[in-house]
Amino acid sequence: MNQMASSDMTGALKPRPVVVNRLSKSYGQVGVIAGLDMRVDPGEFVSIVGPSGVGKTTLLRCLSGLMPPTSGEVTVGGQKVTEPLGEIGLVFQDYRGSLMPWMTTLDNVAFPLQGRGVAKAEREKIARRWLDDVGLAGAAEKYPWELSGGMQQRVAIARALAYDAHILLMDEPFGSLDAQTRLGLEDLVLRLRRRLGFSVILVTHDIDEAVYMADRVVVLSGKPATVIDTVAIDLGMERDQIATKSDPRFVDYRNRVLSRFIGKDHA
Amino acid sequence: MNARRLKRFVALWWLPVALVAGWWFLSLGRDSFYFPSLQKILAVLWRDLTTGNLLAWHGISLGNMAAGLAIAIVAGTLIGLLIGEFEGLRRAATPTLNFLRSIPPAAIVPLVIVAMGIGSAPKIFIIALACFWPVLLNTIDGVRGIPPQLRDTVKAFRIPLALRFRRVLVMAALPQIMAGIRIAIAVALVLMVISEFFGASVGVGFYINEAKQRFAMPETWAGTVLIGILGYVLSALFLRLERWLLAWYFQDSRTQGDEGA
Repeated sequence: MNQMASSDMTGALKPRPVVVNRLSKSYGQVGVIAGLDMRVDPGEFVSIVGPSGVGKTTLLRCLSGLMPPTSGEVTVGGQKVTEPLGEIGLVFQDYRGSLMPWMTTLDNVAFPLQGRGVAKAEREKIARRWLDDVGLAGAAEKYPWELSGGMQQRVAIARALAYDAHILLMDEPFGSLDAQTRLGLEDLVLRLRRRLGFSVILVTHDIDEAVYMADRVVVLSGKPATVIDTVAIDLGMERDQIATKSDPRFVDYRNRVLSRFIGKDHA
Repeated sequence: MNARRLKRFVALWWLPVALVAGWWFLSLGRDSFYFPSLQKILAVLWRDLTTGNLLAWHGISLGNMAAGLAIAIVAGTLIGLLIGEFEGLRRAATPTLNFLRSIPPAAIVPLVIVAMGIGSAPKIFIIALACFWPVLLNTIDGVRGIPPQLRDTVKAFRIPLALRFRRVLVMAALPQIMAGIRIAIAVALVLMVISEFFGASVGVGFYINEAKQRFAMPETWAGTVLIGILGYVLSALFLRLERWLLAWYFQDSRTQGDEGA
């Protein structure tokens, strides 16, 4: 279903590894992130959790190339990130602010492809296919403001995937949605990821969400922030909102992350 | 027309209708020299529109105004987009712009007439110059006010420069650009009339001024009323255009705040 030159016969993407090396970021005298190391292997799903204001969004902006780090570096496949890369797709928390209200849903998804010089008929075909894939086949001609919040975020996901993202960066993408919608979108992303094999870096403050979705959870804490724990989540590729979340291992992972979060040595 | 629409129509129109009717009846038959009756004014207006030069002159005036406005809108939007988007350009241009825009446009009318002579060119120039400012300044504000999220999106998806201007910046700034154009239309009307007070031999402004000079008060009034009607019609038409062009904007801001699914 994807359109990548680097895809193999099964249609799985071959994302490049992301390596964060001694990354620091300060605003003036205020250090936000200090000497942070982490890596995301090809096809891996990594959640980054941490309390509000810990610098998660700053980290994501450095990862995406939207913001230069003060020191250290981010590399993708060994290539230093100095500006947004074509293989990285961003999904923002504020879907309303990141979709263009003067464009139809279809145009919103197709627009980045126009920037790449894809012909109109072709990019609309691609956009339709992805809208179809995120369950919005009937909404192509609608405007974002005619859609619910959950549907708008589906558009944003379709846009990132149509853009051929091998690495999806998501900044609290479901934070402003109601619980039911959020669960549906979590499963949508997991499903697409299983099928396509893209890497995901998810920033969230929701511990359940972080553990439920990820292969690995990176816990940030401190001012300036560093990685205080990395928890490998060995729950397999198939996840289920009820079965997974009642699995004792899930509860253990969750408690371990939570204990790091609130600063007690629970585990 | 159903009852509700009728009610809205009445609510909207009773005052202007009452004012015009009041003027009509209070001035009827009491012909003072400076304040002729509305009946007489309208009769003269009709006469000069149908048998005189007024209709043709009106067309010339409108043509100048349209040309001046068009130049101002194109130049104001283009330069405004550039200045709004590029910080360095904005810093370099701001002091100059602040000085130039503080010159009242009417003050340069005599200068322009002397320099460019009579005919349409100086009038178009004056209208364009005066209308340039509101369009320019609003466009700059519009571009600067683009939400950071949208800027991040454009950057993250590596939208090339030309496409960014064409499909993002213009559109995101359009509500403000339209507000600037609305002001520009009012300014254009003023300058259209004033520019025809000097060194003109045609136009509605010339008609008013020429009538005044020979103390033809009904004609002076007729020209003034015509400008009033023109101003009203233009702003009503523009409002419609704005509603249509910015449908997405009004819808979007109306639903702003509905969160969740």
